[in-house]
Amino acid sequence: MLRIEHLSKTYPNGTRALVDVSIEVPKGQFVSIIGLSGAGKSTFLRCINRLIEPTSGRIWLGDVEVTAAGPAELRLIRRRIGMIFQHFNLVKRSSVITNVLSGRLGYSPTLPSLLYRFRPEDYADARVNLERVGLLEKEKQRADTLSGGQQQRVGIARALMQKPELILADEPVASLDPATAHTVLDQLEQMNKRDGMTVLCNLHFLSLARRYADRVIGLKDGKLVFDGEPEEINETRFKEIYGEDAIQVEIA
Amino acid sequence: MTVRLPRNHFIAGMLSIVPGLGQMYAGEWSRGVALLFGLPAQVAVLYGVGLVWLIIPVGLVWAWNIYDAAGAARGQKYSATTAVVVLLVVNLIASWKVTDIHAPKLQKEQRNVIGQIIGGLVRPDIAQIRTKEQTATAKYVVPGPGAPKSIRTEPRSPGQPFISAYPLKAPKGARIMVRGDGFAPNQAGKLVLLGADEITVAEFHTDHAGRFQESFINPRYIPGDYFVQARIIAPIGGWELSDTLKEAAPRMIETVYLALIGTALSLIFALPLSFLGARNLMSGTPLLKAIYGVVRAIFTVLRSVEVLIFAVIAVAAVGIGPFAGVIALAVHGIGAVGKLYSEAIESIEHGPIEAIRATGANDIQVVVYAVVPQVVPQFIAFTLYRWDINVRMATVIGLVGGGGIGYQLIQYMNLLQWRQAATAIWLIAGVVMIMDYASAVIRERIG
Repeated sequence: MLRIEHLSKTYPNGTRALVDVSIEVPKGQFVSIIGLSGAGKSTFLRCINRLIEPTSGRIWLGDVEVTAAGPAELRLIRRRIGMIFQHFNLVKRSSVITNVLSGRLGYSPTLPSLLYRFRPEDYADARVNLERVGLLEKEKQRADTLSGGQQQRVGIARALMQKPELILADEPVASLDPATAHTVLDQLEQMNKRDGMTVLCNLHFLSLARRYADRVIGLKDGKLVFDGEPEEINETRFKEIYGEDAIQVEIA
Repeated sequence: MTVRLPRNHFIAGMLSIVPGLGQMYAGEWSRGVALLFGLPAQVAVLYGVGLVWLIIPVGLVWAWNIYDAAGAARGQKYSATTAVVVLLVVNLIASWKVTDIHAPKLQKEQRNVIGQIIGGLVRPDIAQIRTKEQTATAKYVVPGPGAPKSIRTEPRSPGQPFISAYPLKAPKGARIMVRGDGFAPNQAGKLVLLGADEITVAEFHTDHAGRFQESFINPRYIPGDYFVQARIIAPIGGWELSDTLKEAAPRMIETVYLALIGTALSLIFALPLSFLGARNLMSGTPLLKAIYGVVRAIFTVLRSVEVLIFAVIAVAAVGIGPFAGVIALAVHGIGAVGKLYSEAIESIEHGPIEAIRATGANDIQVVVYAVVPQVVPQFIAFTLYRWDINVRMATVIGLVGGGGIGYQLIQYMNLLQWRQAATAIWLIAGVVMIMDYASAVIRERIG
C-alpha cells in the first residue's frame, strides 16, 4: 500500500535528515517510528505527503507514484492521507466545526469553500466525526478554548473528514499528559483496527510503541537502523536506536 | 581567526596623520574606514555651516586617532567612547547654533497674540445666548414736488413692536422724534433709515416696559416717503451652540470622514498587496521572491514620503479641498498599513498552514483557512490604529489645503480670530482623544 525506495533528504544547509530509507507498509498496519529528536522522523513523515520535498528516492501510494505527481495530482494524493501533528495545528481562532470541516477542503470546489460553505453531507460528516471523538457539544467553540487533549481529538476528527487510507501521526501525544495520550492513541488504534486505515506514527516512548504498534521502525541520524516487531527490541537494539547512554523510561 | 602580523607602532602613528590609515595598516579595518571618511566629513560639515572654531575639538579626535593607531599596531584596541562623546558634543553645539535657539525677546504685539490665544483657549467660543431680532418700521415724508400729499400711518398689530415718527413731514435737517413700544425691555437698539444705502441714524435703549423715545436729524432731501426702522437684538432665553461651533463642527466631521475614507482606500490596496509582501508566503520560487521584493519596496517608498508632501502634490493635482487630503492619506497609508499587514502575516504560526495543506487544499484555500483567521484581528487593530493616526494627520494636511478642520483653523488664524481658532483647537483635541481612547479599547478587546 505504501512503498518507499531509497528516500533521502538533504536540507539546503547541508543537514542530511534522511539517508536512503526504503520500507514497504502493507495495508492496515500500525507502524511506529521511533528515534531521538532530530533522527529524521518528522522529515520522514512529511516526505510521504511531500509537505517536504524529498531530495531523491521514490514513494508509491498504492499504484500512484507520489514523487512523480504534479501539483493537482499531489492534492488528490494528499486527500487520501490524513495527518495529525504534535502541536495539533488547529486554526485557533476558528470554531471547532470549521477546523473539522477544513479536512474536507481537498474535496470541496474552491469558490464555495472560500465563503466557508460546505455540502450538507460534509456538515453531517463533521458532526459524526466530532461525536466519534466525543466533542460534539463543543462544535461552536473556538478551537483555542479547548484543552490540549481535546484539540488533538479535533485534529483527529479533521483527519477523519478526508476518509483517508493512510494516517501520518507526527508525535501526536508528545504535548499531552500520559492519560490523555492514551485516549488519543486509542482513537488512532480504533481508526486502524475498525476502519482499516494504515497508520504511521512517530513516538518518543518505546513503551507506547510496544503497546500500540504492529511494527516498529527505528531511525538514527536519518538512517533506518531497525525494522521489526516491537517485541524484538531488546537492550542492544534499544542502544542502537537511542545511543549508548540512553536508558529506558516507561510511560504508563 | 585572522593572523595579525606585528606592525611598527611608529609607522602606524605617522600613517594616521591621514586619519584611519594607521588603523588599516594595523589591521583595524572598520575603525580605519570610519575615521578615514568620518573625520573629513565632520570637518566639511562644520566648515559648511560656518562653525570653523568647532573644528578645534575635532582636532583632538584627530590626535587621539594617531595615538589609537600606534596602540593598534601594538595589538591594543582602545575604547572609542571619548572620541564619540567629543564628536557628539561638537554636533550638539553645532545643531544648537544652526537651529538658532535663543531666549524669546517678545515684542508687545507678540505678547498680545499669545495672550489672545491663551485667552481663547481658556474661554473658547462654544455656546451663546439665544437671541431674536425685533423690528418695527414707520414712514415719514420729505415734502416737495412729487412727494405724497398725505400719509397713512401703518396700523398697529397687537403684540408686535410698534414705532411712530413725528412730525410725519420733515425737510432735510429737521428733527424727527421716534416713539416705540412693545420691544424687549432694557435692550440697546438702533434706528436705521432703509434704502439702497442703509444708514444708522441713532441708537437707543428700551426702558423696563420695552418703550423708547429717540430723535434723529433727517438727512434726506429728495422729496418722497422714507422708512425708519427700529431694531434690537433681544435675548429670548436659553443657550445655543455658538456660530463658530456650528461652522467648525461640520469641518471636524469632514476631517473624521476624510480619515475614514483615506484609511479605507489604503486598506483596499494594501490588503491584497500585503499577502504578496509576506516573506513566508512568497518564498517558493524566484519569481515569488522578486514580487515580494517589489511589493516591499513600494511599501517602503510610500511610507517614507510624508503625508504632508503627498498632500501638497495632491492639492496641485486636484485643487484645494478634502479630496486632496483623501488622496494624500490613502497613498501614504498603503505603505504604512501594508507593511504592518505583511508583518502580521509573517508572524503567523506555520503549523495550521501545514495542516490545511496536508488535507489536499489548494493555495487559495490554504490562505483563506489557515492565514486569514490568524491575521484578521491584527488587521483590524492596525486599521483602527491607522484611522486614529489619519484623524490627527488630516487636521495637519488641512493646513496645506487638504480640507477639513485644519483648513478652517488656518483661516481663523489668518483672520486673527483667536477665540474661534481656540474653539477649533479644542474640537480637534477632544475628537483625537476620543478616537485614541476608543481605538485602544477596541484593539484591546479583539487582541
